[in-house]
Amino acid sequence: MTDTSAARTLEEAVPLGLIPTVFQPRLEALSSAKSWMGWAGYQSAVVIENMEFEYFAIRNQSTLFDVSPMHKYRIQGPDAEAMLNRMMTRDVRKIRPGRVGYTLWCDEEGMVIDDGTLFRFGPDDFRLCCQERMLGWVLDAAWGFDVQVTDESDTISGLSLQGPTSFSILKDAGLDAAAALKPFDLAEIEPGLWISRTGFTGDLGYELWMKNADGLALWDRLWDAARDWGLKAIGFEALNLARIEAGFIAAQVDFQPIHSTLRLGRGRTPLELGFERLVDFEKDHFNGRRALLQQRQKGLRTHLVKIELGGFKPSNGALLYHRKTKEVGHVTSGAWSPTTKRNIALAELKAPYGGQVQDDLWAEIYVHEEGQWDRRLVPVTVQTSPFFSHPRARATPPRPF
Amino acid sequence: MSNTTQNFDAVIIGGGHNGLTAATTLARKGHSVCVLERSSVLGGMMSVGGAEAPSFTSRLAHLLYNLNPKVERELGLRLNARNLTTVSLAPNGEHVEIDGGKARMMDGALHPKAVAFATLQTRLQRFATLLSRLSLRTPPKLSGSWTDPETFGELMGLAGIGLGLKGMGKVEMREFLRALLTNVHDLMVDDLDDGPLAGAMAADAVRGSFSGPKAPGTLFSLLYRLGNGANLRAPVGGMASAVAAFEDAAARAGCVIKRQSAVRSVLVQGDRVHGVELDDGTVIHAKAVLSSIGPQATINLAGIQHFDVEIARRAKNLRAKGTAGKLNLLLKARPEFSGLPAPLHQARLLIAPSSDYVEHAFNPVKYGSFSEAPTLEILLPNAHTPETPQTLSAVVGYMPHDPPGGWTDALRTKAERQIMAVLEAYAPGIGDRVQHSELLTPTDIQTETGAAGGHWHHGEMGIDQILNVRPINGMAHYQCGVEGLYLCGASAHPGGDINGAPGRNSALQALKDGAL
Ligand SMILES: Cc1cc2nc3c(=O)[nH]c(=O)nc-3n(C[C@H](O)[C@H](O)[C@H](O)COP(=O)(O)OP(=O)(O)OC[C@H]3O[C@@H](n4cnc5c(N)ncnc54)[C@H](O)[C@@H]3O)c2cc1C
Repeated sequence: MTDTSAARTLEEAVPLGLIPTVFQPRLEALSSAKSWMGWAGYQSAVVIENMEFEYFAIRNQSTLFDVSPMHKYRIQGPDAEAMLNRMMTRDVRKIRPGRVGYTLWCDEEGMVIDDGTLFRFGPDDFRLCCQERMLGWVLDAAWGFDVQVTDESDTISGLSLQGPTSFSILKDAGLDAAAALKPFDLAEIEPGLWISRTGFTGDLGYELWMKNADGLALWDRLWDAARDWGLKAIGFEALNLARIEAGFIAAQVDFQPIHSTLRLGRGRTPLELGFERLVDFEKDHFNGRRALLQQRQKGLRTHLVKIELGGFKPSNGALLYHRKTKEVGHVTSGAWSPTTKRNIALAELKAPYGGQVQDDLWAEIYVHEEGQWDRRLVPVTVQTSPFFSHPRARATPPRPF
Repeated sequence: MSNTTQNFDAVIIGGGHNGLTAATTLARKGHSVCVLERSSVLGGMMSVGGAEAPSFTSRLAHLLYNLNPKVERELGLRLNARNLTTVSLAPNGEHVEIDGGKARMMDGALHPKAVAFATLQTRLQRFATLLSRLSLRTPPKLSGSWTDPETFGELMGLAGIGLGLKGMGKVEMREFLRALLTNVHDLMVDDLDDGPLAGAMAADAVRGSFSGPKAPGTLFSLLYRLGNGANLRAPVGGMASAVAAFEDAAARAGCVIKRQSAVRSVLVQGDRVHGVELDDGTVIHAKAVLSSIGPQATINLAGIQHFDVEIARRAKNLRAKGTAGKLNLLLKARPEFSGLPAPLHQARLLIAPSSDYVEHAFNPVKYGSFSEAPTLEILLPNAHTPETPQTLSAVVGYMPHDPPGGWTDALRTKAERQIMAVLEAYAPGIGDRVQHSELLTPTDIQTETGAAGGHWHHGEMGIDQILNVRPINGMAHYQCGVEGLYLCGASAHPGGDINGAPGRNSALQALKDGAL
């Protein structure tokens, strides 16, 4: 046999640089900012046109964000539920077919490996979506169980359609069957097109999942239907602001996934991240359970909390103090929230601060104005509910806006 | 019997010597204990069941040299054994008799390196005694993650404290810590030159291991074996009589012993053991379950879902490739080894004429094949009488547990021929005297005892699988995570050989935890 592939250049065989997702041709055409970043090896937009416009579109119209680079692991087989229940801190049995659950999983020491969303297609059929590459570990977790693990990261594309008019767009695109979806519901709305009422913005929104080959057609269909509804393609920055408002945590930002840390003690437990409600000590064994029980007894090392700060300067990275003197933590994600008009942040504090001790907390903010640096101490108050929350996010069927 | 329910404080999986030791230790503290053995005979690797030829009273293990004296005392073992010296055979007839630290030639003259050997022995014995202090306790727990690269240093530092090395002097201490990682070959050849003396030490270090004497960490396994004084004892009446002594101790302590009772599953509920279920469906309830089979087999019995992912992975990856085989011969007449005085036919005879020879015997096993020049540890249990039939019991060094295509009849015949050829070179005419022979490969041993890979120690005694990480991190303190479930066999600290400390320590840990 002659080798017909001899003509392949190295670059063809091993593409260099970032890989375009199936939506890249459309994003490329819309992008005036030409601001791209790498996300799991894929080309992903930081900003398409203008971060502020994109942010306000999330809150007032509708937006499309390409979530294809997410890692997606399909877990199927008679033991899929048992395997995942041993892996996850929450009780996976309570996520029924046609539902999606936000979930965390830990190593044997109770340190969070990652968080993600678990989609349940059927009794024996799940997909796990997450930020961190996880195949090796998922295979370890699957060993000994009658399941099949498939890495679908490169074969399934995803679009996140978020905003008050997002359902109206689906409807005009002929996908009105999505009307029945309650938050965290999942359904195959058309053959091969799964839609879940999920997202990262705390608002009404959907995620649409399909084979790569079907991606562009769906994009165009949504875009055509959106004429009256003000759809905008957005980049990461606008979404990040929306997710801070919604109070969602981000891996590598608000916590360090344990497998990517080298130094001792940099991992965090779900309890320290404030997810006690997603840790089910009543169910059977799950990974890290014994370590977490011990920590619950001995006490947490840190608290990740939502805070509101004085002033309006974004507080990213700011150090936090108790009684203005004792350093007790730092801001992990901070932003001025345009919708709620509050200075908001997620912050990690050393216990007991942020937990039992919540008074007399201060943040040190550095302000740069035309070559002048200024330092301000602003008051900090710990919050318990999301900064942004809107009833339209929960109304079923959703109303047109 | 099926579908009946019984209650005990503790159930022991496996009636090998460690299972029996654990059982006796618990029963002597007033607890009700039931030992469950799959086979029709007790003893596990001490006596693999279903002997075809009753004359083989030491079908597998044949010598006591590492039995923990405290175990022997606490159990009140009634052992009847005779002491042996070792003769390391040389192809040219210049055999060396080794008796503790003494090395003599066959004419009674000192071995040319006798002084160096005595010095080396004294030093090794001192190190071994220090190390053995760790044998009788649960290895201390270290905080922090084992993925930390500092772990090993921490372990060694801690070992230093635990061993009370303070009185040792800095130089000696440094030498000791270095020695733990050293290979046995370099040490022997440096001090002794390579020959039967070095070969004997090398062979003793690696017997049963998947490593040649040039591998790092092999001095550790030698020290482990010197830890209890290394007096060689052959039980009178063969190993079967030593098994009977363990059984007798257990029975006197009030243990219930059930043979032909294979455990099918360990019952776990709410992260606690509740007992076991046998192959025939019998359920036996117990507050604690002590398992003398390896970590993977124990995990499988309880159900993998009760264990952390990382622990299950380590158990899966445990290094356990057995390399020791056993040849048992029934002989028409007493064999005669060339150049070996008649009385010394009662000694332990080694065919390991140099450390290099041992290393070469190891090499093929890496590729799943079997050396034409294997090492042999030979006992002639009836050599003191001219009566027939005579027997020969030989541990064969380095048989693969997974030859490509498996242990076919043809391969067995070939292996046996190779071993006989080696024996013939040292004891001419032995082949003609064979009435009956039995060869047990690591695969047979795995089938009969259930030990992963048929491994002598239920898991390699490598530097990554000893002390605080024996058999694996996460199961290294006899505890398995699930409350009330313990490892009590050779895979647990301190390790294999007929030793008893794993069984005893495990029982004491269970008591300390209030599991019963
Ligand atoms: C060829 C060979 C020669 C050896 N020679 C010597 C020697 O001369 N001197 C020496 O000191 N050491 C020797 N050893 C090593 C020594 O015999 C072992 O390290 C030691 O006997 C292990 O004891 P144990 O009780 O931990 O396990 P084992 O003796 O392996 O006992 C485990 C028991 O568990 C039983 N079992 C397994 N599964 C189940 C189940 N599901 N339910 C119920 N029971 C089960 C098995 O049948 C077995 O009886 C030798 C080893 C080999 C392989």
